[in-house]
Amino acid sequence: MRKFLAVVRREYVQRVRSRMFLVVTLGGPVMFALFTVVPVLLAGIKAGGPTRVAVLDETGRLFERVRDSVDARRGDGDEEEEDRPDEAEAARRSTEQGARARLEQASKAAAQGYVFERVETEGRAAEELRAGLDERVRRDELDAYVVLPRDLLERGEAEYHARNLGDVFTRGQVRDAVVRAVRDARLDARGVSADVMRAVNRPVRLRATGAGGGEEDKGQGFFLVFGAGFVIYLTILLYGQTILGAVIEEKETRIAEILFSSIRPFALMSGKLIGVSLVALTQFAIWAAAVLGLGAYFAASGVAVSFPRVPAGVLAYVALFFLLGYFIYATIYALVGSMVTTAQEGGQLSMPIILLLVAGFYMAFPVIRSPNSPFAFWVSLVPFFAPITMLTRIVSQQPPFWQIALSLGIGFATVALLLWLASRVYRVGMLMYGKRATIPEVLRWVRQA
Amino acid sequence: MSEPNPTLRLEQVTKRFGDFTAVDSVSLAVRPGRIFGLIGPNGAGKTTTIRMIVGITAPDEGRVELFGRRMSPELQNRIGYLPEERGLYKKMRVGDQLKFFAELKDFAGRAADEAADRWLERVRLTEWKRKKASELSKGMQQKVQFVAAVMHDPELLVLDEPFSGLDPVNVELLKEIVLGLRAEGKAIILSTHQMEVAEALCDDICLVNRSRVVLGGSLREVKSGFGRNSVALRCEGGDGVLADAALVASVVRHNDHVEALLAPGADAQELLRRLLSAGARVSRFELVEPSLNDIFIEKVGGAA
Repeated sequence: MRKFLAVVRREYVQRVRSRMFLVVTLGGPVMFALFTVVPVLLAGIKAGGPTRVAVLDETGRLFERVRDSVDARRGDGDEEEEDRPDEAEAARRSTEQGARARLEQASKAAAQGYVFERVETEGRAAEELRAGLDERVRRDELDAYVVLPRDLLERGEAEYHARNLGDVFTRGQVRDAVVRAVRDARLDARGVSADVMRAVNRPVRLRATGAGGGEEDKGQGFFLVFGAGFVIYLTILLYGQTILGAVIEEKETRIAEILFSSIRPFALMSGKLIGVSLVALTQFAIWAAAVLGLGAYFAASGVAVSFPRVPAGVLAYVALFFLLGYFIYATIYALVGSMVTTAQEGGQLSMPIILLLVAGFYMAFPVIRSPNSPFAFWVSLVPFFAPITMLTRIVSQQPPFWQIALSLGIGFATVALLLWLASRVYRVGMLMYGKRATIPEVLRWVRQA
Repeated sequence: MSEPNPTLRLEQVTKRFGDFTAVDSVSLAVRPGRIFGLIGPNGAGKTTTIRMIVGITAPDEGRVELFGRRMSPELQNRIGYLPEERGLYKKMRVGDQLKFFAELKDFAGRAADEAADRWLERVRLTEWKRKKASELSKGMQQKVQFVAAVMHDPELLVLDEPFSGLDPVNVELLKEIVLGLRAEGKAIILSTHQMEVAEALCDDICLVNRSRVVLGGSLREVKSGFGRNSVALRCEGGDGVLADAALVASVVRHNDHVEALLAPGADAQELLRRLLSAGARVSRFELVEPSLNDIFIEKVGGAA
């Protein structure tokens, strides 16, 4: 026990004291902020002024509608669309909303600054007009042009030509504008007034509450699961390599032989795992304190900050399954580390681990649709997926306690087994330096050691 | 004569890796206050034997006994081990490393701190205590590793090539320390390829080759039991005499003399007589006992 603690202390103190720890602890939030804010800023940049779109309106009556449709949308969208959120607000958006927010942000930026130009036919042939438009696009006088054929209202097909088809925002804007224009024109043709149209289009809001009453569920539970899954993912991404490195360190520095003449492999391996985990915990505690501190600061300065309200029982499960998820994947990394001789080799082998983790995410979707199906039951018992799938079940439709307990039991037993396996492979592998073990060799070692 | 109980005893120890027998029925005993030389060519099974002694691997057959008890993790604390494959944590300070290695031997607290200071002073590294291992020269690192092996005051010390890569001054320093530890009554296993080192330090010798013990006993017994004579010879002329296979089995030429190994049954006096009668001028004629090096080459080379 004392030796185990010595290993834990060494791993912890050496890492926390290192400059790398300081850099990551301070740099992490900065990087995170950069990754959320910079894309928004970048997407907002519309180089080269407004987008110029020419409309060749063969129907002769849709141009105004198309043009006004883009303008009008800016006007009657929800109020958030009016004022562009500043960077600070964008940065505070939670991650699951981040991607959507970025897209919205970019398309909003794109919605501003369109210049629609009517192409006068003046009796010229369609081919001639198109050739002329193509030429103008090539000369950079135009960014795109749309052809609205005479039978557009009936056939529902229009043409879009642009220099840059990769600019999906502009393409989307134009399509939306044309769709709205055509829809309005069709309704108009059947004598439906604009007032009626607006009344018909008013959206419906779905207030979701659990069966049997209770508070309105705004989906925090689900976001909580994805949040927890995301944090597991992030932690493994950040610390998997560290664990790998910690396990390989003694092999690379040739200290292993001294260690094994003093301490049992299992104590060494678990000491390393716990030591590195405590480092991760320290780092997260610092980040969490920073976030809470920031939240408190904003709250004190009058900004509304809402923390998700989740039942304490669910939170406890989240914590437990987070730990399970972390340790499952950490021990897999330790096992990989025990098989290889250098960090590079370990890096190559660790790719499938991440895939396994991602697979867990995908399984959450069928599980949330039918949380009590046999599929959901079985995948929530598989230790590699349980942290995400079982949590999904808990927040959607809580399964019987014995299932949760079973899932946790299998999970932590797997952790112990993997750790035992890793220490065994490590000890035998240590005795032969400089050569990576093949799987049959590893299996033989496990039997021999 | 009552010999003290051996600190370490191996009885018919065998270790196999798959089809390969790395150590085959090896028996040996290491007594307190003596230096036990474990010698043999590369791949003879020395390292595997040592690993069983220090408890890294367990023998498939036979017994490893320390202080009369079967080897166990608890007993590991009473062994000091300097492996041939050795290293330090690069980014860790020397003092911290020593403390860590001592803790792994259940040796901690003030006593450990004092021991670390005392030993660092003895190997003249006191001012390096707060430096990281990566800042030390290879020789210095080796001395730190040596300290890590001895600072918890083990009763059995296993040193695998302890002097390789050291400059002569440091070799002398460590030799002195090793001899001091012997005087304190420690049992010491010294594994080396440097026969002159083994010859200078060891009380007992165990030569292993191809997984087996081929020669064992005290250095004196080994030498006298080797039953061969050689003559250190410096002379002018008489080359024909040395070429006589009935008299001289082999000749090794050194810078200033030749070493002639007498053929079995041949007499040194006969060689001298023949040389003189052949008109050679003999300026040196000395009967020498075989060096450990000769024994090693004879035993290992002959078997190969």
